Amino acid sequence: MYGRKGYQLVKDFASGEKGQLKPFNSKLFDETLEECEQNHHLIQSLMRKMQQEGLEVPNNRNADHYGALVHHLSLIRNKRCLMAYVHNRADIVRDLAWRVGLELLGLPPEIQEKLTTLEKDYFKNHSVAVKSYMGKVGIELNVDMVPPKDPYIKVRVVGDIAEGIVMNDKTTNFARHSMHFLKRTDAEPYIARGQMEELTG
Amino acid sequence: MASKYYDIDDILTEEEFAPVLFHKPANRVTIDPSAETNYVEQGAKVELPFWLAHELHLRQAVSINLPASFDQKTRLEIQADAACVDLRSRCPYFYEFGCKLQPLVTDRTLGILLSTAFKIRYKERLTKVFTATHLTASKFLPFLTIEETNLYEAAHLSMTAFKKWRTGGPRFQRASILGRKRKES
Repeated sequence: MYGRKGYQLVKDFASGEKGQLKPFNSKLFDETLEECEQNHHLIQSLMRKMQQEGLEVPNNRNADHYGALVHHLSLIRNKRCLMAYVHNRADIVRDLAWRVGLELLGLPPEIQEKLTTLEKDYFKNHSVAVKSYMGKVGIELNVDMVPPKDPYIKVRVVGDIAEGIVMNDKTTNFARHSMHFLKRTDAEPYIARGQMEELTG
Repeated sequence: MASKYYDIDDILTEEEFAPVLFHKPANRVTIDPSAETNYVEQGAKVELPFWLAHELHLRQAVSINLPASFDQKTRLEIQADAACVDLRSRCPYFYEFGCKLQPLVTDRTLGILLSTAFKIRYKERLTKVFTATHLTASKFLPFLTIEETNLYEAAHLSMTAFKKWRTGGPRFQRASILGRKRKES
């Protein structure tokens, strides 16, 4: 009661590492919505009581009024917690699109399972919007996230990459621990996903 | 100023409890643990979360008193040696909560308490980020409030970035959003 569930939901979000997602806590989310329903129910019954006693709701400041006020404030508080939860998660989902890649299926599976269907749709729509904007402007905006120094970099493959990726008209075999000398723009998405690492020196 | 509606820290700060005195009664409300029925008497003393206390104060239904975290005991400890006081266990959002309380309570010295404590702790503790060894740092880190910890981490990040720039290393990184690397099994 009185904003408890909303508080727990926000705490759950805050307990994750900063900037990273935890799985969507649908249980707490639904419990918060239920608490809102209870508050709403009590507000309505108190207002009905005041109307039955023939008192005008806004002008009479009796005990029923203040009781309804407390429930109203608790409901608004829960609403704020719910909104903040969804809003902050949406910020991270957008960040994912820029840092890791615009393809939903390109995201690592452990990230995908933390998102709800609605968040996945949000990701897809955001990617579509970004791609269409980049198409109109004619520049690829999601490369060179780090200021570039060399056009080519040396990389080592650390993760599993699908066989037979075509790069520069030749199929390269990205076996684990193999080293390659690639164009920076080609290698960037793989490094961001953790499938390759840059070698220096 | 950007809205703090969605700000997680602001929401958590406003969840801190403050003691209030009810000037008006409230029906069908079970926030007074000492009352047997779901009714709050006029004159009841209850601990409410700040968001509720603030709104009720604006509507002149309650008056707010200083919470225990800002009481005489804490003040004396801060006067004695502010750098060593464990503020986190008293109130993790000591400064933010204090700032929110300051215009609402009758105590005029709260603002001075907050600024003195912060100045001393900043000078004694937070400036030592660059020279403190890991051992000494880990001793006082649990005493810092959330606001102080954020400052400490920001300084630490800047220092690490600078060192990396000096020595030169791989500039392209795995996206931090993906979490820590897991060892391949």
